[in-house]
Amino acid sequence: MTICSFAEGWPLRAVRYQPHSGFKERFQKTAMTGCSSELKSERSCAPACVLSANILCMRLLIVEDEHDIRAFLQQALSEAGYAVDLARDGKTAEGLAKVNTYDILIVDLGLPDQDGINLITSLRQMGVQAPVLILSARRSVDDRVRGLEQGGDDYLTKPFALAELLARLRNLLKRNVPAGIELTRLRVQDLELDLLRREATRSGQPLQLTPQEFVLLEYLCRNAGRVVTRSMILDKVWGMRIQPDTNVVDVHIYRLRGKVDGNGQWPLIRTLRGVGYVLQDR
Amino acid sequence: MSSRTGKPAFRSAAWRISLWATLAFTCGTIVVFIFLDRFVASDIQRRSDAWLSGEVGVLGDVAERTPNDALYNRVVGEVAELASREVPNRAVSHETTNDSVFFLQTGRDGALKLWVGDGDGQAHLQAIQAHTFEVGRPLSIRVRGYAIPFRVATDIMNDGGRVYLGLSERDQRRVVFNLRTRFFVLWLSLVLLGFAIVFFTSRRTLSHVRKIAEAASHIGESDLQMRVPTTPGNDEIAQLALTLNRMLDRIEISVHQLHTITDSLAHDLRSPLTAIRGKLETSLALREAEQAEPIVSAIEELDRLTDFLNKSLDVAEAKADALRLRPTTIDVDELLRAMIALYEPSMNDKDIGIHLHSPGPIYIVGDEGLIHRMVANLFDNELKHLAEGCNVDVYLHQDDDMARLVLRDNGPGFDSEVLAQLFTKVVKGRHSTGHGLGLPFVDAVVRAHAGAISAENNEDGGAKLVLTLPLAPRESHQGQTAHAG
Repeated sequence: MTICSFAEGWPLRAVRYQPHSGFKERFQKTAMTGCSSELKSERSCAPACVLSANILCMRLLIVEDEHDIRAFLQQALSEAGYAVDLARDGKTAEGLAKVNTYDILIVDLGLPDQDGINLITSLRQMGVQAPVLILSARRSVDDRVRGLEQGGDDYLTKPFALAELLARLRNLLKRNVPAGIELTRLRVQDLELDLLRREATRSGQPLQLTPQEFVLLEYLCRNAGRVVTRSMILDKVWGMRIQPDTNVVDVHIYRLRGKVDGNGQWPLIRTLRGVGYVLQDR
Repeated sequence: MSSRTGKPAFRSAAWRISLWATLAFTCGTIVVFIFLDRFVASDIQRRSDAWLSGEVGVLGDVAERTPNDALYNRVVGEVAELASREVPNRAVSHETTNDSVFFLQTGRDGALKLWVGDGDGQAHLQAIQAHTFEVGRPLSIRVRGYAIPFRVATDIMNDGGRVYLGLSERDQRRVVFNLRTRFFVLWLSLVLLGFAIVFFTSRRTLSHVRKIAEAASHIGESDLQMRVPTTPGNDEIAQLALTLNRMLDRIEISVHQLHTITDSLAHDLRSPLTAIRGKLETSLALREAEQAEPIVSAIEELDRLTDFLNKSLDVAEAKADALRLRPTTIDVDELLRAMIALYEPSMNDKDIGIHLHSPGPIYIVGDEGLIHRMVANLFDNELKHLAEGCNVDVYLHQDDDMARLVLRDNGPGFDSEVLAQLFTKVVKGRHSTGHGLGLPFVDAVVRAHAGAISAENNEDGGAKLVLTLPLAPRESHQGQTAHAG
């Protein structure tokens, strides 16, 4: 699994890697229970497992004052394969950043001792180059823009879906990697997408997709093996930050599934209720 | 001023003020002039009458004392001739042909005895005989062949004869005419100067008001931190600006307070929601399918709660005109097409048709995220409330400087008891499954964009929503299309 994911284009950045306590065991556990037995039930291929593989050796600092949020973030991100350090206020964070080098930081805006944006500014002055994901309970566009202007690289409003947090972290890490060759074909199992001619085939059989369905399938393929939420789909495929209280995305997925998985083939697109969708790459 | 607002000067308030001021000034000066004219004319008349009476007395005296011999005509004629040269108000050009003065003597029988003047004097005699003269009271008479009347004074001699001295009113009239011409020129320049002064002063004063109004309208739409321009001094305009700025201070403070409250409320609610959702999600990863069901529905409930929280805060902020916007230029036509493409499959699943009727790109300035959510709310409403086989028609067109969006369906329409307060507070139709914030949110977004919304039921059944939003200024999207091209 890990080899496969490295082959996807993730460079080995193991130079600074220090095994996180308990990380190895947890990784082995997920590797065994989660991914080797994924065919047993739909639920067993849980998001944490599906998402875990890519992120080996990435070191991450979470700055968050709420204990509960800190705890579940630590658990989820460790399971996802990050080496996680925690700080409950700005001062601790600065101290940790002086000693360690992090690949990515998650900073809450409402810290007890200072504003998260000030922390980001002073971290940048200290020479911290790593991308920063801002977490905030403030939802207005103003705050988002201010956060991004002041040195943040991405912004996520509470409450959030874990899958979205992981996707954003992945995107931020990808930004640090030099752009690779532009893909012209995507291949997941027996599904193939020709990105230039906008054509898709499953087991060699052409699929009759509308342009919109093709974009949706392309997005799922690019995130093959990872969970995408409905709001991520709406944001990336339709370019809208909306939360419909109707099943508009599900209907699109349902139709797409009818075309992709329709002919008695084993299902590629899987629904994870309460979370989102995943295009299975195994 | 006119070049910037595109309004001609003659439609401005300054123009009206100066017109009225000039009218009042004109009337006043005309009254003054009429009075002055009367006074001057009568004074000139009085002076020439005095001269006439004096001269006619002298001439009568001379005529009496001169012996009635061969030299009589010559002596009296000379004296009359000399007197005529001292005519008051006399123009220099009348030196050679003196037709403005005549002297006439009649005998006891009234026959012409002596004539000094222009012509043979018969016409003058006829005119004099048509009037009754008293000594010391000159009269104006018209003489055949002369356009301008003569002022004539008389004196009675001891022999019962009369002497008459006539003076043409021509010179007197010329003086008055000159006076009037000069006054008119002076009056006209005064009126024009007055008009210009009043116009420019009031325009200058009103331009402050206009600037204040412009700034104030700008503040209302975008940025509460801006203030209207103040002028030095302590006049009414400066007071107006100061009062407005104080009012804006207060509004800004209360909006800021509202933001603080909603932010802290949001923070206090969102943090536990985040923790709960995270815990549920991590525990979901460990469960088997059958155990997962309650967790999944808990997550879904939590998401609905979050959505409700977000919308409530938005509606609350919008009701207080404190919705924070990040405006860009949006093509509503394109936005609607994208949204319809998103919603069409869901609608088709319920056998609901949706059709857009649009003339092409229509640009507005707005917060794209909010407009997206607003349209999503409208379409969600249709999806939830329409029965199978219904149709939704979306009409987009341009009315003057507004974009007009009409959403029309042939479903059950709005409940009559709900219709009146559809946008004002949280109301739910009898069969509604939502949290009732959909339309108040739409209303909030529309109002935050300086638009308007109305709802009614069609005559043939079905609901109709009409939204108007101000169009983008022409240059903003021209730049954009040029850039795109």
